[in-house]
Amino acid sequence: MSFALPARQVTFGRSNTQQSQPYQPPQIQHQVSQHGLALPANNGPYLSTTSTNGNAAAGPSNPTSTSTSTSTPTSAPAPAPAPSPSAPLTLEQQHITAVEGIVPTLQNIVATVNLDCRLDLKTIALHARNAEYNPKRFAAVIMRIRDPKTTALIFASGKMVVTGAKSEDDSRLASRKYARIVQKLGFDAKFSEFKIQNIVGSCDVKFPIRLEGLAYSHGQFSSYEPELFPGLIYRMIKPKVVLLIFVSGKIVLTGAKVREEIYTAFNTIYTVLCEFRKP
Amino acid sequence: MASAYYEFYRGSSIGMALTDSLDELITSGAITPQLAMKVLQQFDKSLADTMVKQVKTKTNLKGHLHTYRLCDDVWTFIVKNPSFKMESSDLVTSSRVKIIACKNGDAIESGGKKQ
Repeated sequence: MSFALPARQVTFGRSNTQQSQPYQPPQIQHQVSQHGLALPANNGPYLSTTSTNGNAAAGPSNPTSTSTSTSTPTSAPAPAPAPSPSAPLTLEQQHITAVEGIVPTLQNIVATVNLDCRLDLKTIALHARNAEYNPKRFAAVIMRIRDPKTTALIFASGKMVVTGAKSEDDSRLASRKYARIVQKLGFDAKFSEFKIQNIVGSCDVKFPIRLEGLAYSHGQFSSYEPELFPGLIYRMIKPKVVLLIFVSGKIVLTGAKVREEIYTAFNTIYTVLCEFRKP
Repeated sequence: MASAYYEFYRGSSIGMALTDSLDELITSGAITPQLAMKVLQQFDKSLADTMVKQVKTKTNLKGHLHTYRLCDDVWTFIVKNPSFKMESSDLVTSSRVKIIACKNGDAIESGGKKQ
């Protein structure tokens, strides 16, 4: 426990920054993420920031502790109100994601696009490569491309669902490629209303978890029915993310619209999980 | 009912031979074109049934699936660098093979065509 405590405080501080600052402009945040986070090489900086934070040097990374919101218990250390109330936070400051060096990996992104044009699915199925159309089973053409490795469901209304991408940029690129394919088949397809609908991430906290204890003390968020499903389903309210927590310490996070929600949710749950670490 | 069967076996060597013979018979006035059509329809049906019920030979196919398509219950696959391993342990390779697989009523049959 002595080990768990500092990490916990650090993350409380973090969740404060998350809640106070970046939530008003989610769009900007998203853009920022595209610059910084899409690059896997950025793992390095995260790890380094973590290690500093792990040493309970949370001060610099906590610019605004002004709104110690209700969700965080008063035990938060509340490091002295740091400067920079308006200066835009760097990514590392916004979500010093790596608690103990763990960053959730994005596994799937689901996006929707409106091609804004009626489509004849049979034409598409006949002329496009890697397309399936079986109207008896499903009223959409299922199409796949290899790069980015994704699958699209294309409906006659012109609406399209693109799944399987591992990053926001990939999802957008893949959606554009599908729109281009449909265009090349002679439809007046546009690329409009692109929206990411769901982001799924996963990670491993590398210690076993007492799910019963967690379910008991977080009853209003948790549903744990081991006879139905071996994981605990944790419905976090803020950010609105659903987490599947397994005894093994593996975590699946889903329901986020932006990647930051995944990170915030993980940081928030990590403090809780440390409490329910199996001895 | 014969119209429920695919006609692609008419393109096989045995189908071509039958068509040629029927043509000859029509030209010589031995049979009517209507009878020839009936014969061809029976050929479609018989070959389809025979392929399902009597052909038991198998082959293993390995390769890179370049393209697939499903439309109107017909699967089309283009496999690059396929290698067929026959039951007699012969190995047949090619640079590209197109496989067309069809379903037919209650009898599910597959027709393969190499290009």
